[in-house]
Amino acid sequence: MATTLTINGQERSFDAPPEMPLLWVLRDILGLTGTKFGCGMAQCGACTVHVDGKPVRSCVLPVGNLQSRTITTIEGIGATPVGAGVQKAWLDLEVVQCGYCQSGQIMSAAALLASTPDPDDSDIDAAMAGNICRCGTYVRIRAAIKQAAATQKS
Amino acid sequence: MVVRAGIVRVFIGAVIVGAIVALGAVWYVRGPDPLAFTGGKSVALADYKDGDPTGVPTSMRQASLLERGRYLTEAADCGVCHTAPGGKEYAGGFAFKMPFGTMYSTNITPDKETGIGKYTDQEFLDAMHRGIRRDGARLYPAMPYTSYAYITDADALAIKAYLFSLASVRAVPPENTLMFPFNQRWAMAFWSLVFNRDTRFRPDPSQSLKWNRGAYLAEALAHCGECHTPRNIGFALNNREKFAGAPVGGWRAFNISPDKATGLGGWSDEDIASYLSLGHAPGHGTASGAMGEAVDHSFSKMTQADIEAMVAFVRSVPPSTTPDFALRSAPAPASHKDGVAANLLGKKIFEGACASCHGWTGESAVSPFATLTGSAAINDPSATNVAQIVIGGTRRLTPARALSMPSFGHVLSDDEIAAVSNYVTARFGAKGSSLTARDVANMRAQVSD
Repeated sequence: MATTLTINGQERSFDAPPEMPLLWVLRDILGLTGTKFGCGMAQCGACTVHVDGKPVRSCVLPVGNLQSRTITTIEGIGATPVGAGVQKAWLDLEVVQCGYCQSGQIMSAAALLASTPDPDDSDIDAAMAGNICRCGTYVRIRAAIKQAAATQKS
Repeated sequence: MVVRAGIVRVFIGAVIVGAIVALGAVWYVRGPDPLAFTGGKSVALADYKDGDPTGVPTSMRQASLLERGRYLTEAADCGVCHTAPGGKEYAGGFAFKMPFGTMYSTNITPDKETGIGKYTDQEFLDAMHRGIRRDGARLYPAMPYTSYAYITDADALAIKAYLFSLASVRAVPPENTLMFPFNQRWAMAFWSLVFNRDTRFRPDPSQSLKWNRGAYLAEALAHCGECHTPRNIGFALNNREKFAGAPVGGWRAFNISPDKATGLGGWSDEDIASYLSLGHAPGHGTASGAMGEAVDHSFSKMTQADIEAMVAFVRSVPPSTTPDFALRSAPAPASHKDGVAANLLGKKIFEGACASCHGWTGESAVSPFATLTGSAAINDPSATNVAQIVIGGTRRLTPARALSMPSFGHVLSDDEIAAVSNYVTARFGAKGSSLTARDVANMRAQVSD
């Protein structure tokens, strides 16, 4: 089935069965391998992308449910002011250890800051608890979100 | 002598009165027939002039006996109970866990030693209509023969023909572990005498062919009432509260009577039809548990016309109200800070394990099948089905890969499952539940595994 989606600002057309998870369309068909496969059942957050600006787990999202919505992935998030701010804070604080989960962490953090520019700890918990990090970078993630928020404000 | 004759008269009188009272009590408990709500008008099938409401759909009338038998077998949903989880189809061994012990379903493949391969037509009809096994022993009414009694001989024998076409599987289910007096099979003869009408389906001449078709499908084959109608003191269906909802196997079968606030009164015909054939209706939730299995193995295989006939029938029963049930169809606030304030443990689990699919509003960004808002389960203050879905996960087979939720029964403690169930029912439903770890342990124990 031919489908057209706007991904990172570009119209992309591809053939995929409607039940195929968006993650496989991104990685295997479109070559956007920055989004990672983790658990495959929306329990780890590694595959997080934005659909119309909201964080969604692409591993369980059938591409047929998307119709004409707008997708942003880790490859495109730096083009948004919030995303660029998050990435800078991530670099400044050297958040990343192995890095496998960090695409998802950054996508969730960018969505949080877009909707809640000045998050408190409970907002960070509510937005980030579904993103798991095997290396345990949670403390630096929290600090980087706060730094990105502070930079965004000033 | 006069005094003694008087005592005898009083004694005989007391016995007669006692017998009348006892019969009256039995008659009362037995209650109305499943279709008595229409006013009781009915005719023999042969005397119904508007068409044949039994058998396969008109579009399949020319099909082979096996194809017709298959349709009817699926409509009667035989496979779900006669297949153990992970076991061979129709080979039995599915556990019915009850407070007084566990029963296991039988092997209905045509194996001559362990299945039904030696059943004659009459023996098969005796089992289907009267609950009598080939060896003369009584079946327990876990086999819904009081419903199947409505099935015509021709349809029952088509089902037999289909079952006999399956591969023979040599399999003996585990022994039942029922405690006394429930382990006395012979006593089921008396149960059947009172509760099994053993009458074939009789159409109502004042109703349309569509309604009668729906009645036949829902009552004889799909046996909706076996889960959705509450049971009386004798464990038979209490048709005074037809389709009012009932607990079943650690889950809750919801009120499917047309009551506006607590039943299907607020559903459109299309909603009910969609729920039956797809296991989902927008804004009304998604089928799980035994209803999910009924959709996957039975309703999804039925024709649209048959689904619509059942909808027409279900709509016609008298409304029953479920006390303590209210429906909230508005989403929860978008911010995690609004809504439920208490229950920090429940919130912590929700934000880590659930929010990424179900969202803070209850309206899923992943799939409408995962939307919690408006579903009966999330509004049920007993949170029975919510807890069961958390424990066991859920999966819809139709349409392909429509929905799958992992099970959390092995990663969350009973305490945590209670907490997250209480959190989500409070956040997304009309009224929060107050489950305890003990309640969750009880629910786990009732599920067949």
